[in-house]
Amino acid sequence: MTWTNSPFRSLDARRLLSLVLIGAFVWSLSSVDWRGGIVHTGGGDALKDFPLALFPPELSPGFLKLGLIASWQTVVHAVAGITLAIIIGLPLGIIASGSLGKPGRVRMLVAAVMRFILAFMRSIHELIWAVLFVAAFGLSSLAAVLAIAIPYAGILGRIYSELLNDVSEGPLDGLRSAGASPAGVLIYGRMPMVLTDLLSYGFYRFECAIRAAAIMSFVGIRGLGFEIQLSLHDLKFAEVWTLLLFLFGLVLLVDYWSTSVRRSLNS
Amino acid sequence: MSQYQNSSNRATHDINHSRFLVDGRGLSKVFGTLTAVSPLDIAIKAGERVALVGPSGSGKSTILYILAGLIPPDSGDLFLDSKSTVGLQPGRELSEFVGLIRQQLDLVPQLPVVQNVLAGRLGQWGLLRSLVSLFSARERDSVLATLSKLGIADKIDEPTSQLSGGEQQRVAIARLMLQAPKIILADEPVSSLDPARADEILRLLTGLADDIGGVMVASLHAPDLIREHFTRVIGLREGVLQFDIPSEELMPSVLEALYDLDQQPIPIS
Repeated sequence: MTWTNSPFRSLDARRLLSLVLIGAFVWSLSSVDWRGGIVHTGGGDALKDFPLALFPPELSPGFLKLGLIASWQTVVHAVAGITLAIIIGLPLGIIASGSLGKPGRVRMLVAAVMRFILAFMRSIHELIWAVLFVAAFGLSSLAAVLAIAIPYAGILGRIYSELLNDVSEGPLDGLRSAGASPAGVLIYGRMPMVLTDLLSYGFYRFECAIRAAAIMSFVGIRGLGFEIQLSLHDLKFAEVWTLLLFLFGLVLLVDYWSTSVRRSLNS
Repeated sequence: MSQYQNSSNRATHDINHSRFLVDGRGLSKVFGTLTAVSPLDIAIKAGERVALVGPSGSGKSTILYILAGLIPPDSGDLFLDSKSTVGLQPGRELSEFVGLIRQQLDLVPQLPVVQNVLAGRLGQWGLLRSLVSLFSARERDSVLATLSKLGIADKIDEPTSQLSGGEQQRVAIARLMLQAPKIILADEPVSSLDPARADEILRLLTGLADDIGGVMVASLHAPDLIREHFTRVIGLREGVLQFDIPSEELMPSVLEALYDLDQQPIPIS
């Protein structure tokens, strides 16, 4: 499933795809009502008020406490979601990489089916999964966690399978000639060779999961996004800014943490 | 060649040639339009040290990979220690008979030395044992003893990527020692080494073959090293056998003719 194997490899096909995309963009411009004005009545004031509300943001102890609780809920959803995504995504990715089992048609077929399943999992956006799971489990944390875990497992599984496939063959041949089975080659060769990449990518996805957990509010699950939505409805922009700063802080923290972990792994 | 595809003939063949550790008949390999190996017979007795010589693309590596079970031949039969390799799984079952060491060494750079050496045991270990050993090394004592023989016992816990080229070469040999196959194959084992170190590495490999009572087959170019460490030389050009002589008969003129690029290739009949 690498780019070089895709049907869009040839130059002509890529040019055609570019033309279609440019055409779609030009066509979309025609659907905008330019004469009626892009900004609706009162929208101009909102655009002005919003940036000004940053000075200062809402800093009352009560609201900060609310921000902290909302941040905590968001982090919990993200951590549980990405953990579950790794637990599901890694084995599925290993199967999709086709590096287990005897070489042959069965292995290729199983890998192709698994890639299809992974593609299905990630082609549906986490918000849509959230709607489905809220319908099933109600407005619970479980719905948020599953809504993150499933599409993210699809993404991680696909990336993991590519990483596992793209290692240099030399050390793998060495293990094979030393008598390693495909499973032996996986645990002694492929896994150690890509371990830091697997973790790095997991951390990167954790950052995305934080943002995904935050917007789960749009289907009513508690968290930072839920509070942002409430404050926006009340046009309390200062509160919105406080909450956005919390979100920004969270992403920075995750970024710092993942960088330090990766550095210690690489040394 | 067709007679060897007949099962009854294969049985007699099996008995008649049991004194050979390596017995390949009509082995061939074609990559696309390139003939890497034209049907070739190769039979090697225990105790022999065989050097493969020939210019790049002459099929030396392909032959070694076929013997190692890393690539299947297009045609022909291969018996290792009198057992047909047809039913044997590449890797696991073959590793008892053959081990391969390559110029690029094929170690896993991210693993510590001890694990790269223990990979020589993967053919004997089950999956669970292999997995457990990855976290708490089994048979550490035998690894330590092997590394001591090679003079790098102090490197046992270092990441393999931190070792020098010469040290990594010893790690690869240590892995082969733990694997202890009867047939030791070496693809250009000394081509990037200075003469003194090349001599030492070949001494270690032949010593290992002596200990096990097996054979060694290696591709290399240096005539003096061939005469010193090998008993037999096989010359190849474009996948076709050119000569098969005792190493003491290897005259410089023979090698010059083999490597002469202007010489017309011998037509494949």
